[in-house]
Amino acid sequence: MSERTSQSALRERFESIAEDRTLQDWVIDLGPFALLAVLMVGFSIASPVFLTFSNLVDNVLRNSTILLLVSLAGTFPILQQSIDLSIESMVGITGVIAAILVSDHQFGALALLAAVLAGTVLGALNGIVFAKFKIPSFLVTLGSLSILSGTALLMTGGTSVPYRNPGVRQIATGHVIPGVPNLVVWGLLVYGAMVFVAFKTPFGRYCYALGENENVADLSGVDVDRYKIGAFVVSGLLCGTAGALLTARTASAAPGMGSGLLLQSIAAIVMGGTALTGGVGGPHRTLLGVLVIGVLANGMNLVGIQSFVQDIVLGFVVIIAVAMSMDRRKIDIVK
Amino acid sequence: MVANTASDAATVEPTGDESPRLRVEGLSKSFRNVDALTDVSLRIRTGEVVGLVGENGAGKSTLLKLLTGIHQPTDGRVVVDGEPVEIDGPRDAAQHGIAIVKQEQDVVPNLTGYENLYLGRIPDYARGGVIDGDRMREEAQQVVDDLGIALDVSEPVESYSFNQRQMLEVAKAFSESIHTDNPVILLDEPTAGLEEDSRDLLFERIAELRDQASFVFVSHELDEVLEVSDRIYVLKDGTLVGEQSSEEATESSLQQAMVGRETADEYYRVSRQRSVDGDADAVLSVDGIDRGDDLADVSFDLHEGEIFGLVGVEGCGKSALGRVLCGVDAPDSGSIRVRGETVEAESMSEMVDVGLGYVPKDRKSEGLLLYQSLPMNISLPSIGTDRVTDRLAGIGSALALIDHNKEVAMTEAAIEELDIRAPGVDTLVHQLSGGNQQKVVLGKWLVRESDILVVDNVTRGIDVAAKEEVYRVCRDLVEDGVSLVFIGDELPEVIGMSNRIGVMKKGRLVDVVDAPPGDKPTESELIAEMI
Repeated sequence: MSERTSQSALRERFESIAEDRTLQDWVIDLGPFALLAVLMVGFSIASPVFLTFSNLVDNVLRNSTILLLVSLAGTFPILQQSIDLSIESMVGITGVIAAILVSDHQFGALALLAAVLAGTVLGALNGIVFAKFKIPSFLVTLGSLSILSGTALLMTGGTSVPYRNPGVRQIATGHVIPGVPNLVVWGLLVYGAMVFVAFKTPFGRYCYALGENENVADLSGVDVDRYKIGAFVVSGLLCGTAGALLTARTASAAPGMGSGLLLQSIAAIVMGGTALTGGVGGPHRTLLGVLVIGVLANGMNLVGIQSFVQDIVLGFVVIIAVAMSMDRRKIDIVK
Repeated sequence: MVANTASDAATVEPTGDESPRLRVEGLSKSFRNVDALTDVSLRIRTGEVVGLVGENGAGKSTLLKLLTGIHQPTDGRVVVDGEPVEIDGPRDAAQHGIAIVKQEQDVVPNLTGYENLYLGRIPDYARGGVIDGDRMREEAQQVVDDLGIALDVSEPVESYSFNQRQMLEVAKAFSESIHTDNPVILLDEPTAGLEEDSRDLLFERIAELRDQASFVFVSHELDEVLEVSDRIYVLKDGTLVGEQSSEEATESSLQQAMVGRETADEYYRVSRQRSVDGDADAVLSVDGIDRGDDLADVSFDLHEGEIFGLVGVEGCGKSALGRVLCGVDAPDSGSIRVRGETVEAESMSEMVDVGLGYVPKDRKSEGLLLYQSLPMNISLPSIGTDRVTDRLAGIGSALALIDHNKEVAMTEAAIEELDIRAPGVDTLVHQLSGGNQQKVVLGKWLVRESDILVVDNVTRGIDVAAKEEVYRVCRDLVEDGVSLVFIGDELPEVIGMSNRIGVMKKGRLVDVVDAPPGDKPTESELIAEMI
């Protein structure tokens, strides 16, 4: 009896594996690694500067950190099959808040903390409207994208807000670890924390469950609304961090300083392996997508490809990456 | 044990003069060297209804997929009207006169019945790019009327009941293959989830349509297969192990061929039914529950170790009651008390905290994270409890962290206790058979140590052996002090399992019938009160 059942179970399993484990699954799992390796080898050959410590750390990593933070922010809603489109203006407004607090109110480094807090509160508002009023996150955050960028423009009169405070700058540009800018250290610390959150906390686990099937989570007794709001709180918190650090790095903030990050972050998240259909991937994989974009931009600079062409290349990379990583099993849910 | 049934094959009916409508010759299919189907030969004559039975994984689905061209055979061939054919997908199959009514309903809810019926052929009804909706609707209505199905095809499908959608599927299969004479229609568990009336209606139609079509009828419900079919093929582990004429076959002869053994008389393990002290305090008391049009003044008590069955026709409110008990839907009025304490839950999470668990009717869309692993599923209700998480000492104690070792150990214990057949803990649950999937849903609440379970059609769509296993698990749970509200559409099952049976009708609990071992009510006694 047991042999019989286990045999048929085994047969079924192989049947489903044979059907499901396609080339595409391997592409999703290993694709970002392969792409990264190809780019690195290619650029090393094309440019002698590429594979040097100072280029990799000071250029590739440092220039990727803000994108990393914003992409980690976007990962949690996407993991839940929602999306946060407001991240660009979230970075802008929190950066502006930080800069104003430093330049006009002598907050010093505390201003950066205030920016993080502001991001968290704004994220919570996004989440509450989304979860409690049952408005699709796409629409809620599309609205707040516009609201927040308008507010940031109002606060600054449309100009950038510079400040003089070397101490605040040091937080991002100093070198606690010799040779490594603090900005990169912050980025990696946040990355580690988010990987921990995804795998060790109930919140992280529920992100996967909600992304796979919210109904099942609900009928398993999960307080669904709470964790949906949670994803946007985390998103806001990380965007606030990105806004604060970007302000610290550049000694000024402009309402539009987050522009371009949305597309790049979605590209990084999806390329990493977190499908827009939710439930698979996670923050640990997002780093891969960020590195691919960072290496691509840096390498193209080194070989002297002009920036307009770079935009075109990035656009193609995004489309191809998304097309290859779409989770076929759940494709019928994608709208 | 199997050998004797296997040798019964062939020579069931004489005939032989006419060539069969559809012949399958030595059909085999392997997936990566694992044989899903081995050397299967069978034939379907014009106007015949052929049953196809077997446990999950026996090869029924593979055979159907080969016949509809979803898979290509590794060996053997399909012969239609004496001509060998290669079937290249479902559309091609329809060209050869083979159409399928699938288990999962393939309907687009926001389109009308007639648009669904002709979904793949809408361009045929367009002139100059404009759809002639009237013609399409009229022809569709004609198809449906000819089949004797009561449906208004101009209504959107989302307004149809489950039964009506299923009947639409049948009509669709007909209309797709109608341009060939005598189509062969494959019915893949067409009665799953159907109410008795609709089922009878479907069987009537099948009988009437035999002069227009042949049928292959696949079902887990052996009584239905016996009722509908002329001959029955039995598959086991990918091979054909028997062919029985329905005059000679019985449920137990089929079961014996499928499983390779006699089924125990004690299918429902009635001897393990616990005696319940009706005077003791109830673990769950429901008092005067009203909810919209679904429920009216429902009251009953559930005692420790009791299985309280709930039966009634579709729309009687038994499933709605289950959802209210679990806090998924809130009642308009009335009270629910758990062990004497009134609970006013606004969500299921609050009911889970006081000990309830829910096994929903549709395990695939409501019970399981299909593309996640066993631990992910089994621990889902328990995340945040110390069964899965650790708390740091001191200042971090507010933070619960998932302990993966605990989680895997807990999953393995559940796999052991429930006898879940999975290749490993990291198996994704969609790879499991239906019976094992249902055990995973039960495992979620076993691990959560819920002591009141509301189960809705707990054996729906799973095979005979898996059903028995689920009954065993229910009896085990009851022995451990768990109490069950057992909602079911299959009366023999509810009768066999329950201590008492509540009969629902139009949202009211019209009667509660005692069902002690040896003095169980009959199906007809219950039906009389249901309608």
